Amino acid sequence: MLKRTQAKLLVMGLFGGGLLLSLATHGSGVIANDPDRNIWIPDDLTMPLELQVAYNDEDILFRYRWPTDHPNLFIDMLRFDGERWVRHGGSPVGPEPDAMYEDRVTMLVDDGSIPEFQRYGGYITVGDGMRYFTEAASRAEIAEHPVLGPEGRADIRKHLPATRSDPDDWTTLVDPGELAAQREAGYFLDLWHWRAHRSNPLDVSDDQYIAQYRFGDSGRGPYFTNWDSDGGHPSLMFDAEQVGFHALRWEEVSRNNPDPESIYYLAEDFAVPFDPDHAWQEGDVIPRRALRQPAGSRGAIRVDGPARWNDGWWDVTLRRALDTGYPLEDKIMHHGGVYDIGVAVHRDATGARWHYVSMPYQVGLGRNADIAAHRFTGARPNWDEVPPFEMTLFYPGQVSWPRLNSETHAGADSIRAGVPVRFRHNEAQLAQYGVEIEFEAAIRRQWMLTLLLGVGLIISFALSASLLLRRREEEG
Amino acid sequence: MGPYHTMLVHFPIAFWVTATVIIFVRAVSSGKLALAFDRVLVPFLFLGTLTGIAAWFIGTLVWPADTLQTSPLGRNHMMAASWSLIYWTVLMLMRWTVGPAIWDSVLNRVIMLLLGGLGGVLLIITATIGGHLAGSATFLTEILRMIGWEVYATFYLPNWMLVVLVALIVLMPVLALFGRRSA
Repeated sequence: MLKRTQAKLLVMGLFGGGLLLSLATHGSGVIANDPDRNIWIPDDLTMPLELQVAYNDEDILFRYRWPTDHPNLFIDMLRFDGERWVRHGGSPVGPEPDAMYEDRVTMLVDDGSIPEFQRYGGYITVGDGMRYFTEAASRAEIAEHPVLGPEGRADIRKHLPATRSDPDDWTTLVDPGELAAQREAGYFLDLWHWRAHRSNPLDVSDDQYIAQYRFGDSGRGPYFTNWDSDGGHPSLMFDAEQVGFHALRWEEVSRNNPDPESIYYLAEDFAVPFDPDHAWQEGDVIPRRALRQPAGSRGAIRVDGPARWNDGWWDVTLRRALDTGYPLEDKIMHHGGVYDIGVAVHRDATGARWHYVSMPYQVGLGRNADIAAHRFTGARPNWDEVPPFEMTLFYPGQVSWPRLNSETHAGADSIRAGVPVRFRHNEAQLAQYGVEIEFEAAIRRQWMLTLLLGVGLIISFALSASLLLRRREEEG
Repeated sequence: MGPYHTMLVHFPIAFWVTATVIIFVRAVSSGKLALAFDRVLVPFLFLGTLTGIAAWFIGTLVWPADTLQTSPLGRNHMMAASWSLIYWTVLMLMRWTVGPAIWDSVLNRVIMLLLGGLGGVLLIITATIGGHLAGSATFLTEILRMIGWEVYATFYLPNWMLVVLVALIVLMPVLALFGRRSA
């Protein structure tokens, strides 16, 4: 027969045990990668980045340092399997299975023309229908759009809210005259885009901008696609007379650990037309992207000194003229100016939206700001004299600008009131929210069940304790 | 409704914090002061429940239900607030129905002490998350993080743990029914 004292201890133990077990197991059982819904959650939700900024009378330099266990220098490779050329390293959901996806650092820049960017950073560029979101606009939908369809767009990329008459609807592109007026008024974001494979080997960076879509600046980009779709093979191959081989080897490429000083990329300077009659061997590899020196506005950003990974850290310095001469594609900078930036990093062989992003920060050129740019004379700054600004980057998940301004966001009123994101949120919080939004319905259901059963547990325990704590004689 | 909720929550917090102190004093003492404290415990808990219901209800009107239940902080606050309200209410019913016998033995007092402490902890958690929602984060968040509760992440349990809870909900009263028949 169960003694009353034993029963009290048992009930207390069960209640306490239930609470402790709940604390230990909460938050599990829902979040799981689901490529079919474009969902993959990184192991680390935040990462650090150090930024130094310096400028002289002509140029401005941004030095980025960030940790990554392993540098990824390859992307988009064509491997000969004995019969045909097979692509490795297309844009994946989450990490590329063969790790064929290059590391990247990107930076959005504004000169104050877009006040929302100063307050909310890159969030304002994440509109409706974004690619790789669970509810991404489909190719068929885009093909039917009267403007984006004929332009040959296959997806919806970063764009600014006012480029749509209804920012909640990607299809409502404003008319071309209005878009041109916006550009003239500075309503675009400059995008510095360094890639470990598609630009870095030539010590250059891509230069792009964001308006109604993500565009490359005018001029010639640092890479082009090396594929002959009619022939089903690369257009170019390595010039063996210059580099000693016609192709890379899969054994080497798949190890993903190339010597950064070696020829692990294909560039115009040492490429020749592809020879289909060459005795190609199984495992021969030719990059699907070929490099060339960029020109015009698109070639305005250079790598200053070699950008290399060393001891677990990338160290990349980008250099650009303060005034590039392309005010409709670049944000022109001046001594005495304050500029808004947002930095992002792709690492661990991920592409598309699987990046880590920063809060918006301001860089001051001779003026007070979050980050004080160091003014120097001569060709290069002494970086030892420039204190690094340490920021935390975070995984943003599927949080869009329409959502942030909708009734589902408790802070929508604060956005309308102009309260900056940094005033109410920190990076760890935003990362956590970003993840939960990807599993919103499931988490909400599980939370409601937990709430209700928690209430049941409390009532059950109180009832049990009431039965056991009263005197026997009172029980009749 | 936010400012009204902020104003109203002070009342149940005051009553329940006082109740926690009363339970602590009565659990360790049978002196005159402790007995006097105990006499007002049920009225205090009753007032806590009344004002708690008002604060909970007004709290649900601060944002639309969908907004509140979409925010991890909102969900956690609503959960902690609901549990606090239910917890202190059933504690009142316990004390009311069991009477002074609730303090009869050392074991009873230890149990009440633990229950009072748990109620206080629930209250702190609810207030801490509410502070976050209102834009006033405190260092208590770090303490919660240290014990394994990240307030920015929704508190929910996996299905198997929900089954365990159902089993506990059924098992505890059964054990109590068997146990109360013996000495």
